[in-house]
Amino acid sequence: MLALITRRLMTAIPTLLVIILASFFLMRLAPGGPFDGERPLDPATQAALQQAYGLDRPLWEQAWLYISRLVQGDFGPSLVYRDFTVSELIAQGLPISLTLGGLAILLALLIGVTAGLFAAVRAGKATDKTIMMLATVATALPTFVTGPALALFLGLWLGLLPVSGIGEGGAWLIMPVVALALPVSGAIAKLTRAGLASVLKQDHIRSARARGLSETKIMLKHGLRTAMVPVASYLGPAAAGLLTGAVVVETVFGLPGLGRYFVQGALNRDYPLVLGVVTLYAALIILFNLFADLIYGWLDPRMRDG
Amino acid sequence: MGDIVLKTHLALFLVLVTVALALVLPFLLPWSYDQIDWNAVRAPAFSGSHLFGTDEIGRDRLARLAAGTRITLMVAIAAALVSLIVGIAWGATAGWIGGRVDEAMMRIVDGLYALPFMFIVILLMVVFGRSILLVFVGIGLVEWLTMARVVRGQVMALKQRPFILAAEAAGTPSIAIMLRHILPNIAGVALAYLMLTVPQVVMVESFLSFLGLGVQEPLTSLGILVKEGADDMDMTPLGLALPGGLLVIILVCLTIEGERLRDRFS
Amino acid sequence: MSLYTIRNLAVDIAGNRPVEDVSLTVEAGQCTALIGASGSGKSLTCLTPFGLTPGVASGSMLLDGIDLGNADAVRIRDARRRLTGFVFQQPLTALTPHLTVGAQLQEATMQAGAARPPRRELSQKLERVGLARTDERLDQFPHRLSGGERQRVMIAAAIAHSPKLLIADEPTSALDASLRAEIMDLLDELRAEQGLGLLLVSHDLASVEGHADQLVVMDKGRVVESGPASDVITDPKEDYTRRLIAATPRLDEPGPKLPQPGEILLETNLLGVEFARPGWRRGKLRALADANIVVRQGEALAIVGGSGSGKSTLGRAIAGIGPVTQGGIFWDGLPLPERRKRSLAMRRLIQPVFQDPVASLDPQWRVEDIVTEPLRNLRPDLTKVEREELAQQALSEVDLADDFLIRIPASLSGGQAQRVAIARAIIGAPELLVLDEATSALDPLVGAEILKLLGRLQVENGLSLLLITHDIAAARRLCHRIAVMEEGRIVETGDMQAIVKDPRHPATRRLIAAS
Repeated sequence: MLALITRRLMTAIPTLLVIILASFFLMRLAPGGPFDGERPLDPATQAALQQAYGLDRPLWEQAWLYISRLVQGDFGPSLVYRDFTVSELIAQGLPISLTLGGLAILLALLIGVTAGLFAAVRAGKATDKTIMMLATVATALPTFVTGPALALFLGLWLGLLPVSGIGEGGAWLIMPVVALALPVSGAIAKLTRAGLASVLKQDHIRSARARGLSETKIMLKHGLRTAMVPVASYLGPAAAGLLTGAVVVETVFGLPGLGRYFVQGALNRDYPLVLGVVTLYAALIILFNLFADLIYGWLDPRMRDG
Repeated sequence: MGDIVLKTHLALFLVLVTVALALVLPFLLPWSYDQIDWNAVRAPAFSGSHLFGTDEIGRDRLARLAAGTRITLMVAIAAALVSLIVGIAWGATAGWIGGRVDEAMMRIVDGLYALPFMFIVILLMVVFGRSILLVFVGIGLVEWLTMARVVRGQVMALKQRPFILAAEAAGTPSIAIMLRHILPNIAGVALAYLMLTVPQVVMVESFLSFLGLGVQEPLTSLGILVKEGADDMDMTPLGLALPGGLLVIILVCLTIEGERLRDRFS
Repeated sequence: MSLYTIRNLAVDIAGNRPVEDVSLTVEAGQCTALIGASGSGKSLTCLTPFGLTPGVASGSMLLDGIDLGNADAVRIRDARRRLTGFVFQQPLTALTPHLTVGAQLQEATMQAGAARPPRRELSQKLERVGLARTDERLDQFPHRLSGGERQRVMIAAAIAHSPKLLIADEPTSALDASLRAEIMDLLDELRAEQGLGLLLVSHDLASVEGHADQLVVMDKGRVVESGPASDVITDPKEDYTRRLIAATPRLDEPGPKLPQPGEILLETNLLGVEFARPGWRRGKLRALADANIVVRQGEALAIVGGSGSGKSTLGRAIAGIGPVTQGGIFWDGLPLPERRKRSLAMRRLIQPVFQDPVASLDPQWRVEDIVTEPLRNLRPDLTKVEREELAQQALSEVDLADDFLIRIPASLSGGQAQRVAIARAIIGAPELLVLDEATSALDPLVGAEILKLLGRLQVENGLSLLLITHDIAAARRLCHRIAVMEEGRIVETGDMQAIVKDPRHPATRRLIAAS
């Protein structure tokens, strides 16, 4: 088990480094810079700004500087939000994005696994088919459609929930989290249903049944854990999907999360900000994949040796 | 409900109707998608020659919907084809050669899987400018990963099958074994995953366009229409409902048909 | 009164009735064996009364005073819990992967309501079924155990709650040949010790001989013949039973008349095969070492061994479809290079036939294209019409009619598919066939017919055969000589009749005991 974790970490660090360097050089290749505003600055100011942010140095030197600062937790200054460092923006935005993503994945697991279990128990019946059709529809609901639609119905027309910004209590979280969780819950429901259906056909379930165990006990003790393996392996991609979805949801609901900073940064060529967010997201996703691997090993001991 | 959809090919039918309308409507409608009707700004549905009304600057909704769908589907199919070609080439090579080459090639795929790929695509958009060509090259280059994994798994399994060994013993050259035995046997599965890639790409393209990073004005796409509708939804909810609903229907139908194909071939 | 009595059992599944009018009895302490080909309904007969298949059983099924035929699901479950134990065919998948051996054995011990057993007791139960280092085993997950070990755990779990009836559905078919006899002996011992009734299901008459007291032969869902095992085997009443007995190779049947071998055709010299370890690990896996064999014109050589003994690796190396890393292969004294370097003329000489007949044929191709595939490469001079004529001729040699040419593999039975595979192998007029377990995936009657067909090709076409198998008795029907393999090496080789009479190496003895 420990060997698996070390091995994963050994590949994670170079992966992260490659992502950072690739993004770094890619951004510097781009024509145009952060100071090309509507009104061109005079050459002297331009040069002064370039020098202040170290943009006049050779590329590889900039890259080395960036990474050596990154190791100390310094993401550099933001070029657009000039009064802030990227670290400050991240410190402000990350908790919001993590809250959204964390709650969404919990909600998706709750809805998805329950629906999948129900469908598997009623396999082949109308309940099963209806749940599965709903799950297919749910997976096809993009957050950028459900987000505005929810805001329109529950926010503008019915006035039940706040439409924009962070409010008092937790009501402001409901719509963003639901919009984020819906497609993921659909996918989890499908995976749970398929996992259980294939496990219940397997020989070891017949062995358990031959021992005269009750069907509930067979399902919970002998079936469910193996059936959750596909769900666990989906958690990595799901996390990536949620982080991406958060970009839209934060834009739609006007939440000052990381995703919104990323879009703003991308549209305004704020190199350090975009680079910082990409780095952080890559690290988060790699961490989450590692976590999914651990769950994987717990669910099915055969994976621990592989 | 699920039963009826599956038995009647309703999903396939809806997709075909949508495609047909998107292709034909621009020739039938009196308005083009970027033409402004100064006399009918924010016209309601069924008013005059505007079946679904006009948007906030007086452009015909139906014409824009048809144009947006066409662009969205075009980008999706092109990107899915890119993913098909790259995925089959990569996966088949890794599976056929096997050993350490396979190990290394699949490690790369695993590594790319772990990337926040949407952010990389956005990065590409920012760096190389927001061209439609880049949208689908970027998406296609990301979406090939699943195809490569599936194809590689199929080739690995087929390679062990005795009929491949029998072909070798019969003197059939490697290239002919690949073309005549392996490719025909993975075609079904590849087609199914191609079908499943299309809705994925539709989703990604609309996402980018929604954020203003994908297809650019004056061209339009379903994502842009959803964005315009969302910005104006308190005035005319129809502007959000039409492109949003159409997008969801396309995604659901393509997914249903893709999964049906996948289940048949695996 | 008998322990378990079935009268007029019928099984219905989804509107079909695959089992009808089956009657049998199992006495306490005795073994009743149910014999039949795949699809004969033997497993359904055993498992459906206990609610372990999707089917519905009707008729009278009396187990220790309980009528399962009139019992509801709860009472049937109760009967499973207290009275019966089950052992299934696939030991690899029959244990729950995420529970330790100890946890599953404990669950089985407590299934009839016993108190939580102390660890020592569980350890003893594993010892009883012949496992070593039992204390360690209790904490292991099933995937760490070999197939034979897992089957022993399954047996320990099946009898842990002291049932009265043990139902074993093909308990040895998935195991290596040399393990089969040991498992059957273990079942015999347990039966005698605990007064267990045993209902044994098998497709292989030879494997139950000497173990079964009663024999029930099934075909197409009905009982063909039943009675005391010795009577049925020595004096079968029904034609089907007679054919089944004739089809089952036995070591005590008279030796066959085989054609006289000619000159040496094939010779290997210290042949060895090493594979790179999977992944990036260093070192090599040695699958075959120092193999020396000789095959003469018209001669059949049996390569016999358990799984992992290297026999298939040897066959593939010779047929030019697997790697060679050491030594050489010679044909008529000239070296045969490995795999991709082999010329088309050399390819013509040796053709393979495989175990799984369905997987041997490309599912997308028609039979005609499959059979003529060698001709398109080896005989580019032939026209399409000539190829078609040769295909018809090859099909007739394997007793298939011309109309098979347009069929697709999915429409063929296992036996027909194997005939097509043989037709493909012989169409280019080869001199040696490499047959890798070519009959072991087939039903006994069909397998015997394929063996007979190969015997005819041996005589009429003067073909040499390399017969790779785990079954000495079947190989003895065709082969002049035998080479026994274990762990990648040939451990004993010589004349077939002499070695069967007087085996020297322990591996050979084990294989003979299992036949």
